[in-house]
Amino acid sequence: MKEKPKVYALSTCPYCKRTKRFLEEHKIVYDCVDVDLLADNKQDEALEEVEKLTGRRSFPVVIIGKEIIVGHDEDKLRKALKL
Amino acid sequence: MSDAKPERVYCPVCLARFKFQEGWKEGSTVTCPICGQKLTLRRTPEGWVGDRPDKGTEKEIRERAEAYARLKGYVFNEMKEEILQGLLGKNRRFGDFYCPCRMEHTPEFQCPCKPTRGGDVDRNGKCYCGFFWKSQ
Repeated sequence: MKEKPKVYALSTCPYCKRTKRFLEEHKIVYDCVDVDLLADNKQDEALEEVEKLTGRRSFPVVIIGKEIIVGHDEDKLRKALKL
Repeated sequence: MSDAKPERVYCPVCLARFKFQEGWKEGSTVTCPICGQKLTLRRTPEGWVGDRPDKGTEKEIRERAEAYARLKGYVFNEMKEEILQGLLGKNRRFGDFYCPCRMEHTPEFQCPCKPTRGGDVDRNGKCYCGFFWKSQ
């Protein structure tokens, strides 16, 4: 099995919730980091990682293999997950 | 003619001072013309201040968002209720109604956030979160 998809999200963001719901509906096992709920030092690390990957601090960010998807985009998720 | 400067009211949500209108008095309920917040007027030694009568409640953020949209002629779409839930989550976790789609928990990102009050909706058709939309 390939690496699990990883989601960087904000706990209050409705688009992040839709992305998580989409993955769950499609029975995709994924790792999720709610960046706003992390302790300060962990949060800085996560934000730096998000910025390094995407060039900005927008959520959600989904990493599927080499694909990086910013924002809730079901078409891109389907394509990357081969659904 | 009077040289007196017009009195102003301090809004604790958008941190701006708006013009005091004739007929207002201590205890009057008014709406901030900049952010839509409902305020109860109180006189202090430093001038008029608006208090938030329903501070931190769902009623407050719903009324503020509706009033702001009315003031600006903006509309909502089907994301409205989900975004309101996000705003309520921000208030529970971070103490006020900050933009649910951002990491920042500072007064300038209190909803409607400063970029929105600065014209983002008119420029981009919507605010950062997609809560307020320019009407067609």
